[in-house]
Amino acid sequence: MEKLSVDEVKHIAHLARIYLTDEEVETYRVSLAKLFQSMDEIHAVKGYNEDILIAPWTEEAALREDQVGEMLTQEEVLQNAPSKNGKFIEVPVMLSE
Amino acid sequence: MTKYEATIGIEVHVEVKTNSKFFSASENRYGKSANMATTVVDLGYPGTLPTINQEVINQGIRASHLLHCTLTKKMHFDRKNYFYPDNPKNYQITQNRTPIGRNGFLEVETDTGLERIDIEEMHLEEDTCKSAHKGRVSLLDFNRGGVPLIEIVTKPCIHTKEAAVLYLEKLRETLFYGDISDCKIEEGSMRCDANVSIAPVGSKTLGTKCEIKNIGSIRNVGVAIEKEIARQEALLEKGETLEEQTRRFDDQLGDTVLMRVKETGNDYRYFPEPDIPYILLEEKEIQSALETLPMLPDERRKLYLARGIQKINVEKLLANRTLSDYMNTFIETDLDFVIASNLLLGDISSYLNKNFMQLEETKLTPEKLLDLVAKIKSGELSSKNVKDILEDVLEKDTTIEAIMKEKNIQNITDVSFVEELIQKVLLENPASVQDYQDGKDRAVKYLMGQVMKEAKGSINPKIANEKLLELLQKTR
Amino acid sequence: MSKYLDLGITEIHKLYQEKRLTPTQLLDEVFARLEKNKELNCFITLRKEEAYQEALKLEQEEVKGLLWGIPIAIKDNIVTKNVRTTCASKMLENFIPIYDATVIEKIQAAGMIMIGKTNMDEFAMGSTSETSYFKAPKNPWKTTHITGGSSGGSAAAVASRIVPLALGSDTGGSIRQPASYTGLVGMKPTYGRVSRYGLVAFASSLDQIGPMTRTVYENALLLNVLAGHDVKDLTSSSREVEDYTSLIGKEIQGLKIGIPAYLVSEIVSPEVKTVFNHVVEILKAHGNTVELVDIDYLKQAVPLYQIIAMGEASSNLARFDGIRYGYRTAKEGTVDELYERTRSEGFGEEVKRRIMVGSSLLSSQKAKLYYDKALSIRDDMQASFLKAFEKYDLLLAPTTTTAAYPLGESLQDPLKSFMDDVLVIPANMAGLPALNLPAGFNQEHLPIGVQIIGAPFEEKKIYQLASFLEQELSLDLEGGKCND
Repeated sequence: MEKLSVDEVKHIAHLARIYLTDEEVETYRVSLAKLFQSMDEIHAVKGYNEDILIAPWTEEAALREDQVGEMLTQEEVLQNAPSKNGKFIEVPVMLSE
Repeated sequence: MTKYEATIGIEVHVEVKTNSKFFSASENRYGKSANMATTVVDLGYPGTLPTINQEVINQGIRASHLLHCTLTKKMHFDRKNYFYPDNPKNYQITQNRTPIGRNGFLEVETDTGLERIDIEEMHLEEDTCKSAHKGRVSLLDFNRGGVPLIEIVTKPCIHTKEAAVLYLEKLRETLFYGDISDCKIEEGSMRCDANVSIAPVGSKTLGTKCEIKNIGSIRNVGVAIEKEIARQEALLEKGETLEEQTRRFDDQLGDTVLMRVKETGNDYRYFPEPDIPYILLEEKEIQSALETLPMLPDERRKLYLARGIQKINVEKLLANRTLSDYMNTFIETDLDFVIASNLLLGDISSYLNKNFMQLEETKLTPEKLLDLVAKIKSGELSSKNVKDILEDVLEKDTTIEAIMKEKNIQNITDVSFVEELIQKVLLENPASVQDYQDGKDRAVKYLMGQVMKEAKGSINPKIANEKLLELLQKTR
Repeated sequence: MSKYLDLGITEIHKLYQEKRLTPTQLLDEVFARLEKNKELNCFITLRKEEAYQEALKLEQEEVKGLLWGIPIAIKDNIVTKNVRTTCASKMLENFIPIYDATVIEKIQAAGMIMIGKTNMDEFAMGSTSETSYFKAPKNPWKTTHITGGSSGGSAAAVASRIVPLALGSDTGGSIRQPASYTGLVGMKPTYGRVSRYGLVAFASSLDQIGPMTRTVYENALLLNVLAGHDVKDLTSSSREVEDYTSLIGKEIQGLKIGIPAYLVSEIVSPEVKTVFNHVVEILKAHGNTVELVDIDYLKQAVPLYQIIAMGEASSNLARFDGIRYGYRTAKEGTVDELYERTRSEGFGEEVKRRIMVGSSLLSSQKAKLYYDKALSIRDDMQASFLKAFEKYDLLLAPTTTTAAYPLGESLQDPLKSFMDDVLVIPANMAGLPALNLPAGFNQEHLPIGVQIIGAPFEEKKIYQLASFLEQELSLDLEGGKCND
């Protein structure tokens, strides 16, 4: 059974913003590889049509009229936020993007 | 710059004018108290789903038309995945594979003639929320989250800062006059990024590019590009290699500063948005969206020039959308646009500025303007008269006639009466008549003054002047 | 104590009309049974006080439709205003939503009484309900065994006769598979038939909410309430809602029924095959045509599903970041640390694994190879199904490859939970309605189901066939009944 490299697992974990201990990295090296191996089965599929199915929609999108509806109160916005500051939700300082 | 040629691409985001947001029915308005214009959809609450605001699609159709793009008639949306606190779902709904418009252009007038700036694509997406930094924390206000945006991307086809600035001015004017966006850079409803690279003249490949983000004014885009070209040139001259960077323009410094060196390509993990089915644009919908497009700047220019307004006043009118829109309500009338524009840009504008008023707050009705201009044209009102009555015209409900009566203005246009009056003045000033006959032209000015004085300003100076010269000539 | 909960809904309704029973009395039974059967671990959150208040309020009104005053259990990934909604995750352990899912508004309007929120696999990721942060529910037929998943708590609550009705959600079989393991009727409606607004998304292009009930008729009744267009969900269909009970009891004859060949291949265990073959015999005996049909790419359905479901999930679950709601780490430093620690501590292992794989699948080097290709093959697979429906009225297949198995068996293998769903995944991929019907038992007397798959919006026809078979099979399904 092939394993993913430590760097591969760390890269993937960062993409998903998940912190992993070294021990966890080791476990995921195996289990992620297993999943990839399973999905690699589709590489064998040939001769398919290029058209894509994004979702089994049955209709085109129905558009909404441009009207303002009911909105949340400030209290509701802040209600579930683990960290707030006055009228705002608070996060650690954002470095410029 | 002789050895190197610059290549510039411009990306612009504008906030789209609508009542409600793109994917929710929250109000789309700048300046509301923090976190007072949101729904669970804008906050990315679990289980919420986007809806689509019809007007955003219509605005996209209009913008695509204005920028001469090919409209995409079957669209879907895509998710751009990246983690950032101002991005509530940690993905942004945008259009990656099927931008609403492609392959457009704008033409700008440069010193060397018309230059065409190619637009690669324009697409619809949602805005992020606003963050303010306060010491070791950042504060989030979700009012802006989900506001509709149009992003317009040029091809890397611009080579001078002048062309870049002209393009941005043209773009702003077009989108502003198209009612797509209010394009206020200071309020963030228009944001400009520039990609700049340089390469030796004649080189077939482009140099390493730097992105300059969020430049605070169109003028500064020009400055930023200039500084960036110089910086890159200096590095290349020193034999250094350039790295791909993201920079920002620092207003205080008047220069670009490094934000970060690009990582090996941001991986946005785009994929088609499954929550929004295809949007199909039918010819009927496209036409009805375009029907409401206001008259565009270039069309206005043509119209005003055709009605005799001088170029300088044409540009002044275009710089003042309210006045231009007002003028356009008279297109079907025989209003003298020259007199009207002088009046609107001159005395009326001064009055409005002095009193901090808007045109629609005055008592100037279309009928009154038509009457006023006609009376100026016919000579019934002199420019001095206009100054005397303007306040009343703008402040009172009464007609021009009534105001004239009240101010005791009777502009005499009866030619025989004017003649009589001039004859009288000539008789009373034989010395000046003699001066005229001796070739001293300033005598005419003096006599004219006497005529106007005699008439107490109530005759048309143009007619009087003409008559005076005619009669003087006869005395020779 | 009389056992009103053992009665059918029509009988309860009659008693309500005759004023011989009140919703409060029925609730007494519900909560008594719950108390005695805690070890089944069906519920994460109960709503006892509010349920009684609602019952009292209902008692002031006239008895309305058939579902008036009927207790219902809601899967805990359906958002309920002011009622904790956890998705069986530490991430949402204390999350109190500020809005209701559309289906919640609908069941309330119909006068049903929400009892509580049921246990499930964390964020619906799993096929045994064992990935729940609140520990797995137990199969009422045999408490050492799995309920299946991810709607395991809903399945256990109905199978044990604690509540008559439950809502589940089905992304890759999560209604039908636990229904099969617990002897219930479970319907995954056509994609777009029931609003997803307020269903915490796992894989948006696959998810559907559906009813889990004891009988076919009750299932159709509940779908009547759930189905319909919702302006809040662009993917919901504006097609008119039919009365899904209208063909129930109508005679079945001369139907053309297809059996997707791969779904009865060697991947299916002999015990399931025996039950399935018995059903086929009944159909044939009543003058219906039953034949094998080839549907393209069924063999690749699991990897296709893995790619699409994990890809979408990685994006759908990105919003759980400790900022606006939900769990937030105590170890926040930078923004990235806030994200990484919160998500590392808040998500369980299965969820982490799936969103990591999903994130990787969508990354620029892999997207074309995996995701885009999967979307293309998915298109072909749906086309192949639709073509089959030109010839066949309905498709028939087993629901699961085996009966329920002991708890703990699947935990070591990251692929097992996907393989359990090999027979149920195709309907989600193609957006088709599909229903599990209890069809027999294995030697341990654990239930085994069959699956009826219809063309889009053919739920009515599915119910017709299902009720016919239900009557013909006439199974005793009381084996899951809990202690009184």
